[in-house]
Amino acid sequence: MQKLYKLNELNIGDFAEVLSIEGSGDLRFRLLEMGVVRGTALSLVRVAPLGDPLVISVQGFQLSLRKEEAALILVKKFGGFCKQKRMRHGWKR
Amino acid sequence: MAGKDKKIKIALIGNQNSGKTSLFNRIVGANQKIGNWAGVTIEKYEGVKKYKNLEFHFVDLPGIYSLTPYTPEEKIARDYLFVTKPDVIINVLDSTNLDRNLYLTTQLLELQRPFIVVLNMYDELKRGGVKIDVPELSRLFGLEFLPISARTGLGIDRLLVRIAELALQPVDPLPTKFSHYPDIENEIKMIQSVLCQDDKLACLYPCRWLALRLLEGDERVYQLLNERPLRIKVEPLLRASIERLEKHFEQDMRTTIVESRYAFIRGALHETMTVGKKANAVSHFIDDLLINRIMGLPIFFGIMWLLFQLTFSLGQVPMGWLEQCFKELAQLIGSFVPNGLIKSLLIDGIIAGVGGVLVFVPNILILFMGISFLEGTGYMARAAFVVDKAMHRIGLHGRSFIPMILGFGCTVPAFLSCRTLKDRADRLTTMLVLPFISCSAKLPVYVLLIGAFFPKHNAGNLLFGIYFFGIILAAIMAKLLKVFIFRGVSEPFVMELPPYRMPSLKNILIHTWEKAGLYLRKAGTVLLFFAVVIWFMTNFPASPQVDQKYGTKIQMITYNRSFSERQRDQQISALKNLQASEQLSYSLAGRLGKLIEPAIKPLGFNWEIGVALVSGFAAKEVVVSTLSTIYAQHGEDSTLNSLRQSSSFSPLVALSLMIFVLLYVPCIAATTVFHKEVNNWHWTWFYLFFTTGTAYLSSFAVFQLGKLLGY
Repeated sequence: MQKLYKLNELNIGDFAEVLSIEGSGDLRFRLLEMGVVRGTALSLVRVAPLGDPLVISVQGFQLSLRKEEAALILVKKFGGFCKQKRMRHGWKR
Repeated sequence: MAGKDKKIKIALIGNQNSGKTSLFNRIVGANQKIGNWAGVTIEKYEGVKKYKNLEFHFVDLPGIYSLTPYTPEEKIARDYLFVTKPDVIINVLDSTNLDRNLYLTTQLLELQRPFIVVLNMYDELKRGGVKIDVPELSRLFGLEFLPISARTGLGIDRLLVRIAELALQPVDPLPTKFSHYPDIENEIKMIQSVLCQDDKLACLYPCRWLALRLLEGDERVYQLLNERPLRIKVEPLLRASIERLEKHFEQDMRTTIVESRYAFIRGALHETMTVGKKANAVSHFIDDLLINRIMGLPIFFGIMWLLFQLTFSLGQVPMGWLEQCFKELAQLIGSFVPNGLIKSLLIDGIIAGVGGVLVFVPNILILFMGISFLEGTGYMARAAFVVDKAMHRIGLHGRSFIPMILGFGCTVPAFLSCRTLKDRADRLTTMLVLPFISCSAKLPVYVLLIGAFFPKHNAGNLLFGIYFFGIILAAIMAKLLKVFIFRGVSEPFVMELPPYRMPSLKNILIHTWEKAGLYLRKAGTVLLFFAVVIWFMTNFPASPQVDQKYGTKIQMITYNRSFSERQRDQQISALKNLQASEQLSYSLAGRLGKLIEPAIKPLGFNWEIGVALVSGFAAKEVVVSTLSTIYAQHGEDSTLNSLRQSSSFSPLVALSLMIFVLLYVPCIAATTVFHKEVNNWHWTWFYLFFTTGTAYLSSFAVFQLGKLLGY
């Protein structure tokens, strides 16, 4: 069983796959509707100069969100050689 | 209607940054007008394009990611589609970001309306080496996809032809191939068939759409259903369906439906799109330069400093020309119109008032050009990203920083730039604390008072202290407003960072021109009215005794041979100042000053200062000119000296006055813009009392504390 991470716990450059989004408010659906759905591959691209918000790359676009918002997204890290391939086909279950 | 052009209503809809507005500008050019959607400050762009014997009426709907109405933008777009029912819907997609852009398309196609999907920025996609099999994509979605580029004009002619065809011969939309997960489809079909029994409902909305929305739990559709007798039949079925599906997918319906849409989109794209070299590499590189952890903040401040300098320093030049123009105009009119009330009204009231609005136009043009440029390139989103943490501490959004910076120059453009704030609570909070940011018109007041009452070596520190006090107070007040008035969650920061693009000059110019025009139309009329009111208050009622007394005195001096010419002129101008100050004390403004004297006594102010503060509502610099008029009667040659000589002034009073001027309600121009932007009397009243109340309490505290300490 692989370890689960919250999105804000990733390091810059890490690739991961979305497992679920916690919470139930509008924010959750906003994220879902922008394409952060289960099985989507994403990566943490950068952190703002003051340490918050973050930028993630998801399905070819860049999304910025605060750490508290990123903490709602549970992910599974990719590692090793299959990273690139998974990134490309990240949408597949 | 023979002979008359047929009107076709066309709605442009798409994600933010999809290039919708560029397409709109490309098609209608300058032939557009901007207004507001009813009841909100979201801008509404409309434009007309003649095409053969047709008249295309375009509406550029707000950029949205989904039709689920959470945000005001989404509500507007959805209402427009349902209530106004455009003849043709054009869904604009950013080709370089199809995955997310197609999500809205899947929602739109369920509406079953005449519908064209355009793949915008197709040139950019090709440059990136990505290939899309457009016919295959069209086949999979059962929709027509037109590759276009708003920037180069690629495919625009074809688009216009298609609009005309679609508008003239409304064909039934192609049966869509788009489908949800099979389990969901089954439930939809079942509920759909029941809903279709209600003819009235079925002719208003597509049954399939209704069924899906009910499964998703859309409250507005539920309300619709509640009014129908059919409800008794549908509700149990619906409940059973939802229960089945939630059990099957082990999550709530809305999540499942979003996932099922993306599953279809990603499947379709997988079959039709071949990825080229790494997309967005250039944007990543620029981001590494501009918003990296070390240089991100300095670069941000550098860009803000540049925007500020351009707006106020470069704007100063044409502002000076305009001021000169109005001066000359006033002189010209003065030479035609005989002395008297009409002349005074024209020159001191109307020209001064209208001029006061028009002189800001160069600054506003430059400001909007700068903002459009920053927005167009994609830097604005990054600016918000860079400072968000600091702003979030005081309960605001990263975007609030730009108005704050501009507030140091002039509160009018600062209020206007608050339009970039999407959330109403954030916008109001920012606008309410902006008056505490010391605008440039307050500077002459500080300079006068500091120069008169404080030692030179401390002048700079004190000036800095005043500015700093305003900033701290703005931060504290923003926090308090957020905690006590705009309670609830703050707006999430979830925001797209669009790839860097070079905005076209045409788009920038169109925007700048439209927005400046809006400022003129809106602020101009109300401001003119207030300018006349203030003029009236300082001139009426006129005192015949004062006129007579000074008239004779001046005459006596004029004919007195014992004075040299220079002495005579000096005496006359001194007398005229005295006359003005006595007239002012007799006028409504003077009486108002005396009326409020008991109230401002605890702040250390006498009625003369009261008058200066009241007239400072016209413009903050006027505080200085009014003070000099009033204190002219002390007979000293400079205002500085006469203030020093005055028994009613002390360093403590000066400090109290500076703090009051820093904090109390901004000038009429700013107040008018505030009201126009907020469009709600309650908030305008709140704004008046909030700023003035804060000023009162602060000055009170300073003066009383100072007195206790023996200053």
